[in-house]
Parts: sequence; structure tokens; C-alpha cells
Amino acid sequence: MSPTFVIIGGSLTGASAAATLRQVGFDGDVILIGAEQDLPYERPPLSKQYLRREIPFEKALVRPAVFYEQNRIELLLGVRATSVQPVDRLIHLDTGQTVGYDKLLIATGVRNRRPSIPGLDLPGVFDLRTVSDADALRDQIVAGRKAVVGGLGFIGCEVAASLRQKGLDVVGIDPSPAPLFRVLGHQVAQVMAGLHQDHGITTIFDDAVARFEGQGRVERVVTKRGRRIDCDFAVVGVGVEPVIDLVAGSGIETDNGILVDEHCRTTADNVFAAGDVATHYHPVFKRRLRVEHWQNAMQQGAAAARSMLETGRPYDDVHWFWSDQYDTNLQYAGFHHDSKELVVRGSLERRDFLAFYLNDARIDAVIALNRGKDVRRVMPLIKARAIVDPRLLEDEDVAMRSLAHAEVSGGQI
Amino acid sequence: MSSQSVTVRQATDVKLGDLAALEVKGVRIAIANVNGQLFAIDELCTHEQCSLAEEGTLEGSVVTCGCHGAQFDVTTGQVLAPPAVEPLKVYPVLVEAGRIVVEV
Repeated sequence: MSPTFVIIGGSLTGASAAATLRQVGFDGDVILIGAEQDLPYERPPLSKQYLRREIPFEKALVRPAVFYEQNRIELLLGVRATSVQPVDRLIHLDTGQTVGYDKLLIATGVRNRRPSIPGLDLPGVFDLRTVSDADALRDQIVAGRKAVVGGLGFIGCEVAASLRQKGLDVVGIDPSPAPLFRVLGHQVAQVMAGLHQDHGITTIFDDAVARFEGQGRVERVVTKRGRRIDCDFAVVGVGVEPVIDLVAGSGIETDNGILVDEHCRTTADNVFAAGDVATHYHPVFKRRLRVEHWQNAMQQGAAAARSMLETGRPYDDVHWFWSDQYDTNLQYAGFHHDSKELVVRGSLERRDFLAFYLNDARIDAVIALNRGKDVRRVMPLIKARAIVDPRLLEDEDVAMRSLAHAEVSGGQI
Repeated sequence: MSSQSVTVRQATDVKLGDLAALEVKGVRIAIANVNGQLFAIDELCTHEQCSLAEEGTLEGSVVTCGCHGAQFDVTTGQVLAPPAVEPLKVYPVLVEAGRIVVEV
């Protein structure tokens, strides 16, 4: 009998894994279970081009429908897996049915956190994760209306920028001193604050939404510091949590996500996890990471598929992501946590720079604003944990290209 | 569609490993120099229309878009890495008497 590989999670990670299984030559059955009704799609456009009605939904699909037919990938969409029993190799679905597997990949991703903010359920208060969330939010976008965006992480920043680009009045609120403060660090975060302010966003920092008020629909936001901000609608982006309910009691270990090793293996035999839900051991940074970005979804899904086929190698890609806000392209590669030094090549003021987070003369992470092409050249340095000279990093006369080649081939410059 | 050859530039203008942008009858084209051989492709990435000549990097025959990391083979236009899905159009290109001639 041919083996059955099941993937729970019908988004980019799951679709990438399914496609990879076929690409590598797996001939058994492949079943992809997705909680959403739609074919697997990519989420980055939901806060940008799709939200602004610049592209149709079809452009966001990971693969067209015909791909799944041609590759014999059975899709169970609009179905939620409620629990997993590794001992019996069984998955329980919310339809009451069960599905057996020989190998299983869990790629359930994350869901938006729903903190207990009074009025959060009022009509006119939106959040954004799925295409139906984006559709609901799109209908609110009319030039001249007033929106409050609560939480200026990546989704909040991108939504705020899109709303502003469509001519709305936007107030952005974040509990930190600047947007993206935790992930970018204060110097770069201040640059992003300036970017939003220059585009006409009213920013409120060191404050947070205390409650939403209104008669039958949101009319204003009240902040913890007592500000009252009238609005036509509000968007909240206050963090996410991994979807791990289905493994409760299964013996599959979790710690802020499903724990996996560098081969995407969970603590249960024949069960793998990848994408936003996977807290994975990263051989380069020698620690566990959980990453909620497009590249990881794509690549780790593929890596997990290879591990399921026992043709895998350790997943050690340097994490990378982008964020487009207005006409500014932000990119980040690597991982920094307690880096001691920030070295800047270019100009923070002009919003044209590479910013390197260093620790003991090694690059932990690089942030680029409107300098995406140099990020590719830095990624091998991060991966090799190469020793770098900060003076050369910040010297515009030394091409990143030459630096990267010298470093990776020679070790020292 | 009738194609037409247009002489666009001195061949020596496109150095080894370079991607040079030009406009031919309203079409933005990039000329890539791969080990001395020239290839002509659409200049804009099919993902989100970033300029490959300005934002991209060419390594061998692979161009990587600087905006979101899509990769293409400049000799065939084929997608090598997402997020791009659609291939780049490729155009016949040849060198005549030291000048580049592109057929659009």
C-alpha cells in the first residue's frame, strides 16, 4: 500500500511542503488540510497591494487550482484538525471524521491574539490575518475617513501606510517609543517613526488602546493615558499566538510553538512541524527560534518535506524578510537579540542605509532601508559567522560585494 | 507581432557581470553580460515591477531582484526562486560591428 503523508495547514508552508514532496518524487498520497476555504495563498499582499485593490486574489495564490489536480494533492479545505494522536497515527477533524497518516506535517501557523480590550468586538474594529479579514477591511477604505491603527508592528505599519496611501486620516498607536521597536531596535525604529510621520500619520507612542467606544459601532478609541480619538473604524495588530491546540495531550512538546529540531522533527515519531508554528533549533544561531515570515514559511515547508522523505539536511537558512511601507523597502536578515554594537553604512536621515547588529565582530543581523540588493551579500557573512571589520562595513567606498567575497572565501580581511 | 531590430548601445558598455537598463520602443529591457555573452530580458521583475538593473544583482546567469528576492535565469527568463511566478520575457540580442542589436 502506498504511504499517506498528511499536511495540516493550508497556507504557504503547507503548500510549499506538498509541492516539494512531489518535486522530490514522493509517489504516495498527499492530503492537505486547511482551515480556510480558499486555496493556499500568500499573506504579504493582504496588508498592501490586495488591501489597496491593486491586485486580484488570484495573484496571491501559492499555486493555481490545476496544480493540485496535476500533482495529486488532495485538498480538504474549510476543515479544521482538532487533535492529533501520534500513537495511532490519527487526526481528528471538526467534521467528526478522522484521517490516518504515515507521516504528518503540522503547519498550522499563528492566529491573531484577542486581548481582553473592552469594545474589541464592536462592529468597525478589525484585525487582519485572512483574505476575508482583508475583504472586510477593504470595504472600509474610503478617502477622507478616519482610522485608528492600534499596534505598529509589521502588519500595523503596513496597514497604516496603505490606508494613508488611499487618502485616509490615520492615527497610529503603539506602546513602544517607536514602531517596530523590539525587532528593529530604537535607532532604526526612530527612522520608521519619521517615515510614517512624514507621510501624515498621527503617531502616538508609549500609549495603548484601553477600550473601543461607540453606540452599536466603534466611534472612538480611548487610550490608557486617557486620550480620546474619534474614528470611523479601527484596526488592531497586537500580536499573534501559535496554533497548537491540536497537539494538546498528544505528547508533542511545545514551547511558544511546536518544538522541532533542525530537521523539522517534533518529539513524536513521524510528526514534523514547520512555518510560523514551529519553534525550531537553528544551527547558525545555536538557539531555538520561531519565525513568522514569508521566506521561512516557504523554505522550512520545503525542508520539512525533504525530512519526511529522509532526504533532508539541517534547515539552516538565514532568516530574511521584507516590509514595504509607502515607497520604502525595508529588509532584515539574520537574528539579533542582545547585539552590542550597531554599525551604519549610509544615512539614517536619508533613509538609505544598511544597519548591522554586531556581537564580537560577527554580524547577527542586517537591516536595509532601500538597499535590498546588499542584503543578499551580507547573508553569507551572517551564515558563516564571519569575523568582520566594522570600519569596512560602514565605509561606503568599500563595496559590499568585495567585502562579502573576501570574507566568505578568505575568512579575514 | 512584427519584431524589429534596434541598435541600442556599444557592446563594450555592458561589462562582465553587468545588467544594463535601456528602453527600446517603450519596452524596458535589461542587457546581461554572462561570461561575455549578452542576453536581453524584461527589465522589471514580474513580481512587483522592481527594476532588475537598478535593484538586482547578477551572479553568473542568475539575477536576484533586490526588492523581494525573486530569482530568474537571464538566459531563459525562467523563474528560479519565488516570490515571482511569471517568467521574464527574453529578447533576441546580437552584437553587430561592436554594437548591440535587440529584437523587440
